[in-house]
Parts: sequence; structure tokens; C-alpha cells
Amino acid sequence: MIRALVTAAALFLLAGCAASGAPADPFAGMRTGEGTVVWQKEYEFSPMPEPWRLLELDEEDYSIAFFRSCDHGTPGNYPCESMVAYAEEPFGYSRDLNQRQKEFFRRFLWAARVDFDEPRVQPVRALEGEALQADTIGHERVLKHKVLVRVVFARRGERVVAFYFTQWRPSDKEFDRAPMEDFHRFIESFGYLKPSFYQRLQ
Amino acid sequence: MEGHQRNLYLYDRFNARVAGVSHDGVPTLRHWSDDLGLTFPLLSNTTGYLGMFFGAQHKGTPMFARRTVIIDMWGKVRYIKDGSPDYREILLLLKKLHAEEGRS
Repeated sequence: MIRALVTAAALFLLAGCAASGAPADPFAGMRTGEGTVVWQKEYEFSPMPEPWRLLELDEEDYSIAFFRSCDHGTPGNYPCESMVAYAEEPFGYSRDLNQRQKEFFRRFLWAARVDFDEPRVQPVRALEGEALQADTIGHERVLKHKVLVRVVFARRGERVVAFYFTQWRPSDKEFDRAPMEDFHRFIESFGYLKPSFYQRLQ
Repeated sequence: MEGHQRNLYLYDRFNARVAGVSHDGVPTLRHWSDDLGLTFPLLSNTTGYLGMFFGAQHKGTPMFARRTVIIDMWGKVRYIKDGSPDYREILLLLKKLHAEEGRS
């Protein structure tokens, strides 16, 4: 009996080791049968595939964000990282999409001391409505870094929301644009499960 | 301030107006307002008189942190909260006050 208990305890410990070695599913308990996740009981989307990781947020600039480094066959060394995020309250205040993108880039990555090239904007569709995509490159000339930025401004009710893609690289390295495909798949999968606070405020 | 600017259309619907109040001087506020693209007034309150007049600041007590104050149409302070503005809480109260106005 004692031997059986020791064996059982050992198996339990081994199982514990195996479990701790595997990364925890950040969406455990949120997954639906359709391959999507329900986030904060308000959003539904397909999570970003590996090697993207969910970012733990300690501020309210974004509702959700994913991150990946360059350690997966992409070129470059630090700074070498990409981020995808969704924000309910992107910088700026106008409800006109084109005006909003102008306001946005006056504040975005301000603390990183980035000079942005003039954004190239084009109409696109997102969240089942008209949207505006803005592409630019920011230059951090002191540290000799650069950042590739694509922002899709869309509407939720009356208000403007935004999806961000950023990718940092050393100034002398090429960008890797392949992760942008994941970004667009994320946007296409993204939807709302209930009206926003502002829609309910009416 | 940018959050208030973003919500101006909702403040209008609730018959509310927003003004920023600061200890800074007029040239500083003018620059700040232009830089942020604000369209609502910023008041230079270098002596702190405005806060004391409305009962939102004790006399002789300097205020260095952010404070949100909501004053109803009868001049009564209905809300004071220190720290970053809680925009949702503000909007819900403005909606309630607007409903009270309709009943008065």
C-alpha cells in the first residue's frame, strides 16, 4: 500500500513537472467551438497564431495586444519585435477617420521620440464598415531604430477604434512584412458581442 | 484633456460644457491648447480663486494634482474626484443630471 502511494505520488510529481513545462493557455476558458476566443465578455476574435504571445497590459491604451520577437527566423537583432493591438480609444479625438489619423500620429509613440514619414492612407473595410488604413515608418535617429507602422481606423458605433501593427528594427535592417498577414487575419476575425458603453449611453 | 475633447459631442447632448482649469499662465495654456487641438476653453487660475469660488478647493490649500469637478445648472458641486478623469463615470452622471434638468 505504501509502495503504491509512493508510486502515485511520484507520478503526480512527474505530471506536475510536465504541466509546468508547457506554456499556459492565456485563453483557457475563453475558447469557443469555432476557434475563436471571447475576450472580456465583449470581443470575439481568432487569437494570433504562434509565435505571437498575448501581452499583459498594465495600462489602458489597448484593449488587447500581442507581441512577437525576432527569434523565429525573422531577420535582425534587438530592437526586433512586432506588436498587434486593438484600441477602443486611439489617440486623437475626431470622429472623421482621416482627421483622426492626423491627430493620432502626433501622439503615437511620442515617448519613443519617433519622427514619422508622411502616412500613406487608403480606404479599406473593417468591422463590416468603411475604414482607413495608414502606413508609415517612424525613425528614432538617436538610437538608430526604425518602426514600421500600419494602423487601421474603423468605427464602433459613432466612435473611432483602431487596430495597430508595429515592427521595430535597427535602422540598417530590413523589415519583415510577413507578420502583417496575421494582423489582417486578426482584424477580419474581430467582432463585438454587445454594444459598447457609448452605444448603450444613448 | 484629449479624452474630454473626444467626448465633447456627448457633453453637448447632455447640455454640459467643459472647461480646463490650470495654475499655468495664459501663454502656456495657449500653446498647450494649440498643441493638443483643444476646442474648449482653458482657464488660467493662477491664484486658485476659481476653485474656492465654486467650493471645489479649500482656501489656502494648494492643488497640484488633477481633479474633476462637475457643477450642475444651479451652481451646486455634484462631483469631485481626484486623479485621472473617469470618463465613463462622468458621462453617466451628466446623463443623470440632464434627466434631472428635464424634470425641473
